[in-house]
Amino acid sequence: MTNETAVSVEDFSRLCEFLYRRTGMIFTEAKRYYVERRVSERMRATGSQSFNSYFARLRTDSLGEIEQLVNAFTVNETYFYRESHQLRCLSKDLLAERVKRASPAKPIRIWSVPCSTGEEPYSIAIWLLQNWPPVDTFEIEIIGSDIDTRVLEAARAGVFGKRALMHLPTDVIDKYFVALGDNQWRLLDDIRDSVHFAPVNLIDVPGTAAFGQFDVIFCRNVLIYFDDASRRVAAENLYANLLPGGFLCLGHTESMSRISPLFEVRRYSDAIVYQRPEVTP
Amino acid sequence: MPIIRRNSVPAAPSEPRRPAEILRVGTADERWNAARALGSSADGVAALQDALRTEADPKVREAIFTSLVRIGSPDSVAAVIPCLRVDDAQLRGGALDALRAMIGVVRPVLPALLADADADVRLLTCDLVRELPTADATRLLCDVLARETEANVCIAAVDVLAEIGDAAALPYLENCAARFHQVPFLGFAVQIAMQQIVAERPVLHD
Repeated sequence: MTNETAVSVEDFSRLCEFLYRRTGMIFTEAKRYYVERRVSERMRATGSQSFNSYFARLRTDSLGEIEQLVNAFTVNETYFYRESHQLRCLSKDLLAERVKRASPAKPIRIWSVPCSTGEEPYSIAIWLLQNWPPVDTFEIEIIGSDIDTRVLEAARAGVFGKRALMHLPTDVIDKYFVALGDNQWRLLDDIRDSVHFAPVNLIDVPGTAAFGQFDVIFCRNVLIYFDDASRRVAAENLYANLLPGGFLCLGHTESMSRISPLFEVRRYSDAIVYQRPEVTP
Repeated sequence: MPIIRRNSVPAAPSEPRRPAEILRVGTADERWNAARALGSSADGVAALQDALRTEADPKVREAIFTSLVRIGSPDSVAAVIPCLRVDDAQLRGGALDALRAMIGVVRPVLPALLADADADVRLLTCDLVRELPTADATRLLCDVLARETEANVCIAAVDVLAEIGDAAALPYLENCAARFHQVPFLGFAVQIAMQQIVAERPVLHD
């Protein structure tokens, strides 16, 4: 950051407090450089001469600046094995806890919402086939949902470009994709057929209830865009969509603590996740 | 391939048949589901309001508040406001969060709440004003600074003005600090607020 865009310790603290209250995003001093870089980008984009003038714009949400800054934090782009630390947590810790309690006759249900063009639910399928040895012992049902039916069509087609595959090891690409040429790859039918896609609006109570209950829900980087009313309805819906003891994975900057007291925080070596308590308190 | 696909999502569990009754007599989980079911229609407000008077389970209370927010009518607001006057801090906090989440419907009653006979209600309402656009919030809080008799309420108003107020608040802040010159913390809060406003914001209204 230049001198003009420098953020004092006090200003950084005010900014973090504001973002937490308005979006539920949490940033600590350890993320200061990450935050400052994005604030600096937005200051340049908005022609703000000082942090104070930019902060004034942000707090009044002039021209939708809160959404613009959130976009800068979340990298509005999806690709395979994004935030793979959560996938590690899934195979190493979460599923181990779930299968201890569940009957092997019942499928393990995983929901990716919103799933955009399918990279996340397909990543979950591939990750489990590659990294979870008991995968053959259980039936695993993966559902991808989004409010946008156009992205669901693209997800079902299962054709991806080079950028979407950039974090996948070559052997994984070779094993699960067919090269179409022109930097396009199509997922094998077996993988495409293993994920069911269906539209959902997260704040629709009967609409979400229709999906039943899941062992694990991935709901990353969407609640931060909701207003307070929608966020609390969505949080209750997600809770209702979890089996007792089921897990909710949010984006790495997100926190449920500001939104709802319903969930318990669980800290694992690879990720922090939220759990529906086993027994109603 | 162990990963299976189902082409239809499972049927939703059936909703309680008489949610208003279940909200009175059911188990905690049943009451939670009933509270959520009542949020789908404006007719649910009366039952939700009744339940707020007696419900002790924090999870069910949250669901009641969320349903009132979903309905989002003036009746919902009227159902929540009495909870601002209770001694139970958790219930009060839940009410404040619910009102904040439906601030558009709450807006018409804010002047009355800021003039409420109960100073605690006036103080809590200052925080709700934080959700309004700058010019609107500044006008309401300047009125508070001009007439409020409780220093603590003024401090709450000053705190919000420091964050979202504009330069129109400066004379009101100065006058308030002078009126409460015997309360040093208020003077300090006013000084900080004025510095922030001068540094950040132009006048956004006349």
